[in-house]
Formats: sequence, structure tokens, C-alpha cells
Amino acid sequence: MKTTFDTHSLEVNPSGAGYIAVVDGKNVRVQVLRADAKTGMMELSIDGRRVVAHVSADKAKRWVTMNGQTVMLTKTSGAKRGVRHDHAGGLIAPMPGQVRSVAVKVGDLVKKGQTLLTMEAMKMEIRIQALKDGAVTALHVQQGQTVEREQILIEVEE
Amino acid sequence: MFSKILIANRGEIAIRIIRACRELGIKTVAVYSSADQNALHVQLADESVLLGDAAPRESYLNAEKIIAAAKQTGAQAIHPGYGFLSENADFARAVESAALVFIGPSAASIRAMGDKAESKIMMKAAGVPTVPGFEGLQSEDEFRKAANEIGYPVLVKAAAGGGGKGMRVVNEESELSDALEAARREGLNSFGSDVLLIEKYLDKAHHIEFQVFGDKYGNLIHLFERECSVQRRHQKIIEETPSVLLTPQLREEMGKAAVAAAKAVNYYNAGTIEFIFDPKISAFYFLEMNTRLQVEHPITELVAGIDLVQWQIRVAAGERFPFAQDDFTQRGHAIECRLYAEDPSTGFLPSTGVLLQYLEAAGPNIRVDSGFSTGSEVTHFYDPLLAKLIVHAEDRASAIRKMRTALSDFVAHGVVTNIDFLQEVLKHESFAKGEVSTRWVEENFGAWGAAGVSTDAMIAASLADVVFAGATLQSAVSNETDPFNPWNQTHNFRL
Repeated sequence: MKTTFDTHSLEVNPSGAGYIAVVDGKNVRVQVLRADAKTGMMELSIDGRRVVAHVSADKAKRWVTMNGQTVMLTKTSGAKRGVRHDHAGGLIAPMPGQVRSVAVKVGDLVKKGQTLLTMEAMKMEIRIQALKDGAVTALHVQQGQTVEREQILIEVEE
Repeated sequence: MFSKILIANRGEIAIRIIRACRELGIKTVAVYSSADQNALHVQLADESVLLGDAAPRESYLNAEKIIAAAKQTGAQAIHPGYGFLSENADFARAVESAALVFIGPSAASIRAMGDKAESKIMMKAAGVPTVPGFEGLQSEDEFRKAANEIGYPVLVKAAAGGGGKGMRVVNEESELSDALEAARREGLNSFGSDVLLIEKYLDKAHHIEFQVFGDKYGNLIHLFERECSVQRRHQKIIEETPSVLLTPQLREEMGKAAVAAAKAVNYYNAGTIEFIFDPKISAFYFLEMNTRLQVEHPITELVAGIDLVQWQIRVAAGERFPFAQDDFTQRGHAIECRLYAEDPSTGFLPSTGVLLQYLEAAGPNIRVDSGFSTGSEVTHFYDPLLAKLIVHAEDRASAIRKMRTALSDFVAHGVVTNIDFLQEVLKHESFAKGEVSTRWVEENFGAWGAAGVSTDAMIAASLADVVFAGATLQSAVSNETDPFNPWNQTHNFRL
């Protein structure tokens, strides 16, 4: 069974009472010693080391806590993904919130670093600033509008 | 004593107050917004009233609806918690006008201390040291002139503000215009006022505050300090008491100044005098007074051995506070970490979502004040505080060890949290030495990134898909073509 998380792939196959994980060409012996579906807890033996992990899943996301450290993995088909802040010249909302003010209109010439609009979320003000000099070609939101994370707010073309 | 209290707040602090009420045999009324219908504070209260939509103005900031809810349920008093209406003098007055008791100081005390500019003038008169700066300015030109006179960096802040909102550090003149505008807007949105004041921004300063507590008969004492210098975006993330910086003599001086400051506004109930402390010259300046219960009140409770929330209720009901200054000593060392749903690697941007898994730490002298459980939703409408983790130990080194162990027992999935970041701070040499000033986080962790993904984590994630989904290896292979198959929504566990 091959799985890809973000940019890393690994293969885990059953072997006897446990599993063999193939990591960077090396075989690692893994056993599931205990598991509790309610808390997502798994006690594993990885190459003879005892490891306790808590794992949760939400769609393609996997959250793993080990030794007090939490990481979030995304199951992918191998394609590279990351947090996007702009999308083909469009500026996206870094988090869900509300548009507080819009400082520009379509056709305006803007400078890199100029505040185009402000958002507010959790009482915090977030300024959406131009990433480059250019002209505003599209404005997708208006003052007071609630926006989702990664929604395209405004587009600036050079 | 009251027989029923309405709690005009949400989250962990509402639950903290509900617990105090239950221990005192008082019934509780929760209020909530449409976003909080399944919230823990609603479940724990004896009864609850829906205020309105999620936006605070429609719910937790709506004084009229809250007072109506108290009248309708027969509550005799309102506890405002912190944030929201807790430092709103008009609300305190409206509560009293409705023949209800406001659990906190008088409206006059709130008003006097609520305006950062006026309170500063008053403190100067009372002989309490204050930060160099100006109040009562209007135009950008006046601010520009004042800033030049004080010397950059300067701080502009909403006169009505608090909690780090409506506040901007200005490093040079070119940033002043934007900073004034942003602080004005945040002040207007959060506190309904765009009046600003300007003062010297003290570099490498420590934030040390004193808890004060008094009754309605003029008895007022302090309950020692809290060192709150570990901050990001001007908001505290780690607090502790005692502060390693204070000598017994300094502690006594600052305690006396705190009591004098509170007495200058005829203060009663719980309050906090915030000082800026300059360790280079051991000087302290009055910053502001928070006329309410503080988020970090638990560390004082542990070290002083007092239940502040229960005494808030008792003195509001007219009881005398029976203790004198000498009745209190600092016992051991307490630390609080604020667990936030926020991402330290993106400048602490809040993270929203449903808590897929939420497991708290427990053990001797470990206290968790929390408003969430597995399945709770963290929304963008409110402060992203998940929980406060508080530990108490014999000395500072043991308290740090206890905190680090407790933090590593926490599991919170579904939102990005600052838990790993808190661990990094706690194990940092500067923190161990007590050298952390209020800008330390931004100076040392500006480019902080979460730890990389270990092979172990990937193995665990892969196996979880098999173990918890009950998927056979054959179907797991076909899973490759369908990567969006969350096993937490299936119920065919086969363990």
C-alpha cells in the first residue's frame, strides 16, 4: 500500500503479525501493539522502538501527535501543494473573516506593498497588500462581505 | 447572597464562573450566540438564553439583550468575565439601573480607568509613575509633533482599548499615518471610540502586573505580581508568578503603588494594575488598569491560595473581604500557558475548524481552564483561545518542567495550535534565565517554522488509515485513486 503525504511517499505492507514500511529504500518493521478508535491513539513498535501516536483524519488531512509534537499531513497523489497567497495575480484571503474596507477600485494603479483592502477576523485586522506594482483588474468583494479562507479577493495585473 | 447569576460571556471564562457559582450554591444562566448553540458553557449552565447572531454586536456585546435575559430568568447579578462588556462603564451602569448587581467595580471606577488618557493624568496626580507621552491629541500633525518630541519608536493606542487591540508600534515617521488609521479603526470596532494616545515605546521592557482586590467598605490589598512578558502581537501567551526580576523591596514598592492607583478611583472587586518594568534601571511605570477579572488570574489563585471568582461574587453581594495584606504570602511558583488556535509559522494567524480530537493534560497541580471538547468548532467570530494550562510547583524550575510535561500530554487536532511553539519558548535559555522582554518573541521567533514531518509520523498516519478505517489492505490500495476518504466519518471499526 503506497501513500503519499505532501511530497513524501512511503509504502506499508502486511508482513506476518505486523507490517513492513519501506522508507527511503529501507525496510522498517512495524507492529500495532494497541489502538483506541475513540481517542485515535495507537501504540506502535517501529524498529523495536515503542511509539505512541494520536491520529485524526479530515478528508485528505491527517493530524499526528507524537511526543507532544503535532504535524498535519495531506494525502496527495504526489502533486505538490502548499499554502497559496496569490493565485495568478489574484490575492486570496489568508483566513476566514469579514472585509472591513476596500481602498481601491477596478482600474486603479497600485504600488507593491500598498494596502488594497483590510479584513477583520477574531478582532484582528489583516491588511491585504499588493505583491507587485500594477493595475487592479478585478475586485471580487465589497465592504462588509464575509469571505472564506483562500477566496480570491482582488486581482492585480502588471 | 445571590441565588441566580447570569454570565455574560462564553468559552473558558464562562465555565470558570459557572464552576464558582456551583460551589457557592448559586444557579447559573448562560447566554449564547447562534454560533455557540452546542458550546460547553451552554451545556454546563442551569439555564441558557439565545442572544442572537454570531457577530458580537448581535450577541455578547449587546447590553440590552443581556439585561433582558437576566430579567427574564430572574437572575440578580451579572458577571461579565473578561473582554466583551466587562470594561464597559455604560453597561455596568445599565445593569445597576435595571436593579441588578454588576459583579465588578463601580461604573465610575471603570470609566475613570477605562480612558487610558484620563487615567494616566489621574495616576500622575496620585504620585504613581507613568510612561512619558501625550494625551488629548487630535490631528495627525499633533501626533507627528508629539512623536518627534518623544522620539521613535512610539506607541499609539486606543484610549478606550485593552488586550492589545487598537494598538500600534510606530518605528519611524513614515509608518505613523497608517498606524493612526489602523488603531483608530480597531478602537472604533472593538471599543466604540477612536480617541488615541501616544507614548514612548519602551524597548526590552517587561510587563509586570499586580492583582488588587477590595470590598465595598474600603478594604483593598494587592495579591502580588504576574510577569507577563512573553507576548506576541501585544498579547500575552505565557504568564508566571513570582517574577524573577523583583526583589522583596521592589515588590513592596510596586504593590504599594498598585494599591494607591486602585484607591485613587475608589476601586472594589478584582482588578489589575499593569506596569511596564525596565530591568536595566529597575524602574516601573503605570501602564493601565484592567477593571475586571484577568485571563491569567489562575496563577495568582494558586500562589496566593484564594478563589478570586468566588470572592468577586461574595464582595459584589456586599460581603466584607476579611483578609489583610499580611494574611497573604506567595507559595511556590505558578505558570500559565495560553493554548491558542493559531499558527506560529504564519505570524500567529488564527486557525479555524472543528476539533477532531481534543485531549487535555491532567495530574497533580495541573489545572486546565477550557471551553472546548472534541467536536467543538473554533470560529472566526471570537478570540481563538482554546484553553489555559496552569501548573503550580515548589519553585520555578520544577514549574517549567511540569508545564513542559503537561503540554506534551495535550492533543488538539483539527486546528493549528501554538503548543509546539510554547514548548520552544519554555526550553529557551533566555526564558530559563527570566530575560524575556515583551518584544522577545518577534525578535527571536520571527522565522519560526513547525518541526518537519518525521518518518514515524508518516508511518502512524498510514497505519491509522488501515487500523481505524477497518480498510483491508486491498481496499487501501484502491484508496490511492480516492485520496479523499476520511476514516473518521466511517463507523466500521474492526479492532
